[in-house]
Amino acid sequence: MLQSEDTRTETETNGMSEQVPLTHGVEIGALDRTGGDLSLDDEDIALEVNKLDLYYGDNHALKSISMQIPRNRVTAFIGPSGCGKSTLLRCFNRMNDLVDNCRVEGSITLDGKDIYDKSVNVAELRRRVGMVFQKPNPFPKSIFENVAYGLRLRGVKDRRTLTEVVEKALRGAAIWDEVKDRLEDNALGLSGGQQQRLVIARAIATEPEVLLLDEPASALDPISTLKIEELINDLKDRFTVVIVTHNMQQAARVSDYTAFMYLGELVEYADTNSLFTNPSEKKTEDYITGRYG
Amino acid sequence: MSNIRTWFKSGTPWIWLNAAAVSMSLLMVFGLLGLIAVRGLGYFWPSDIVETWYTERDGTRGKLIGEIWENERVSAVQLKENGVQLPPDLDFVTRYLIKVGNRDIYGSDFKVAVAVGLEEFTFPKELIRVERKEWGNFYGYLVAVKEDGKVIESGEDAWIALQPHLEKAQELSARIEDIEKGQIGSVNYRLEQLRLQQRRYELDNELTPEHLAELDAARAELQQEYEVLREELASLNRELARASIVVKIQTGREVELPLAKVVDVTRPNAMGTMEKIGTYLANIWHFVSEDPREANTEGGVFPAIFGTVMMVLIMAILVTPLGVIAAVYLREYARQGPLTRLIRIAVNNLAGVPSIVYGVFGLGFFVYFLGGWIDETFYEEALPAPTYGTPGLMWASLTLAILTLPVVIVATEEGLSRIPKSIREGSLALGATKFETLWRTVIPMASPAIMTGMILAIARAAGEVAPLMLVGVVKLAPSLPVDGNSPFIHLDRKFMHLGFHIYDVGFQSPNVEAARPLVYATSLLLVLVIVALNLVAIGVRNRLREKYRALEN
Repeated sequence: MLQSEDTRTETETNGMSEQVPLTHGVEIGALDRTGGDLSLDDEDIALEVNKLDLYYGDNHALKSISMQIPRNRVTAFIGPSGCGKSTLLRCFNRMNDLVDNCRVEGSITLDGKDIYDKSVNVAELRRRVGMVFQKPNPFPKSIFENVAYGLRLRGVKDRRTLTEVVEKALRGAAIWDEVKDRLEDNALGLSGGQQQRLVIARAIATEPEVLLLDEPASALDPISTLKIEELINDLKDRFTVVIVTHNMQQAARVSDYTAFMYLGELVEYADTNSLFTNPSEKKTEDYITGRYG
Repeated sequence: MSNIRTWFKSGTPWIWLNAAAVSMSLLMVFGLLGLIAVRGLGYFWPSDIVETWYTERDGTRGKLIGEIWENERVSAVQLKENGVQLPPDLDFVTRYLIKVGNRDIYGSDFKVAVAVGLEEFTFPKELIRVERKEWGNFYGYLVAVKEDGKVIESGEDAWIALQPHLEKAQELSARIEDIEKGQIGSVNYRLEQLRLQQRRYELDNELTPEHLAELDAARAELQQEYEVLREELASLNRELARASIVVKIQTGREVELPLAKVVDVTRPNAMGTMEKIGTYLANIWHFVSEDPREANTEGGVFPAIFGTVMMVLIMAILVTPLGVIAAVYLREYARQGPLTRLIRIAVNNLAGVPSIVYGVFGLGFFVYFLGGWIDETFYEEALPAPTYGTPGLMWASLTLAILTLPVVIVATEEGLSRIPKSIREGSLALGATKFETLWRTVIPMASPAIMTGMILAIARAAGEVAPLMLVGVVKLAPSLPVDGNSPFIHLDRKFMHLGFHIYDVGFQSPNVEAARPLVYATSLLLVLVIVALNLVAIGVRNRLREKYRALEN
């Protein structure tokens, strides 16, 4: 009896984001955020998307998207599955190049330079725009070597430099205390949540400007999720963070700005507070109140 | 009726069928190994020497001394048709094959004797077996030990007196062999190098008097070295020629055997079990560590083991990078389409081409074309004698590398395709290029699969004989492909191979009957060598697997 009640409570909690309108004051207050009203006009813009169209063969996956992503802020992309939020995220470090017959029109500029320009070195770009994936994907190497991977790619060989950077990255990803005694162990021996934080450490070790997080907590348990969310809040001091999530509570908790996408279009983009409390579009309201999604 | 149908539907007969198939396979594998093990390992056992009397068809009675090699039951009718006199009430008779040895005297190693004509077997302790450098074994009674033609001991004590002489003779023989094969061989090699050097000068029109003087000086030095060695050799030979033994054979004749021609003298009938086991193990050791004698029918097979292992290793070194690079291109870089599919089909079909065809290809392309070109370009001074334009270790390894290439390509491709996409993306997202991703992450993770390919390649190559006969294997190689003369590894040399050795000993030797156990022993050894090579590779693979445990969480 007791157990079934528990289960039901959990289901309700999970379903809340889809079912119940959010009470934002509580949700947002849970984490210490920048607070106050934000306006894109006051921000330093890191990434600017300009009339971006993306096609997978005949499939028009992103439709004329224009937006600005502010520096040292957390920007969240929300929307139902297949709306193109991950696709857009993968445009920022050109991961879509790996997909056959993928075609991009329009432009994305990073610090004023078009990243789709022919002269851009993609590997160089990806060093400036780091990425963390949905499923933790550590390499089958030691914890140390995982974090040092990006540095070794840049030809850093000095052991002391490596040790320093690895420690800093692991501390930055809030996992140092858990792994400091077993840096030489295989990274695959860590738990899922630890692996994901390790992967974040790997991404920040090379000091990128922008950090892309593609549903970083969707494969994790609630406690690991909480740790990742706290971590994201810390990260924005040093990085511009863009996060894709289908968990609206999470978006509300961690982000400063939120973009709602639907069927390849950017429906609404505003600071998180106003988007959740006072959406200007009907579609946004329907989505965040759970009418569809 | 419906019961049977239910029984069928339950799947029980199917399970039984599966189990039966597995049992059959196991039975065949272990039956095969068991047979060659029993037949092959039996050869090294110091079996007793039998003495008996035998009545020939014409009624003459003679003594027989030898080892019982085989016995079989033969139908009496068959023997009678062949003109053997037998008592009328017999249906079957045992027929013995007795190895009487002393081939130089009797003309044949074996005597076929029907049990009816044989008297009781006795095993006198004094019978000796003399293992000789030529003409095979010698059996008889030790009569006397001689030194410088004078008898120093005879009768009962001759055996004891023989021991120090035998030891000395063995030691001298070893030293003589070392001088002949090692040191004089080395002098000859260097002389040949000088001749080639001179020829090279001539071809380049640089043979100045200074060069000539230099060469002559070096030559004179070597000549002197050779004289010293020759003198030492002569004195050793004189020393070795002093002692001899007198042996009484079955006909009662006494034969003198110089110890210089003797490898070992044993008295198997006088040995205890432990002593026999000791001799048995020593025999096995001699077999794997010594050079063959007497058209490969005696002595060891060390050069063949060495050649086999060496060839397989070179093959593995050649085929692995080639196969991996090809597979990486096919899987990672080439645009997947009808063309890559066609290439894959072609590669897979290459694995089905009969191996002799590869041998013909190797002979035509590698040996004559490539080797000929190398000779003309780099070894002009040695012509008309070919260096690489003749079958040799290098070409045999290369031919086998091509033969096993499909296996490595297929296994590597398989391995590459199993590396999760998330790992590649993770590496690319950190700013690695495709090459860096492959080199640092994907290929190390695929290394267990590459090793699997190598294991399969080794298994295939080590057992291959047919193509080797065309591209480098010989019945008897004068020297190993690795020796003390620079450049130490001589890939142009011909080599011996266990597989070919089996064929040669079993079918090409002048004394097939005597060599048959050797065929089994060599087969067993070949299997063991392949198993050992595979175990090493499997060990490496398992370590790699442990290291690059795939992402399966």
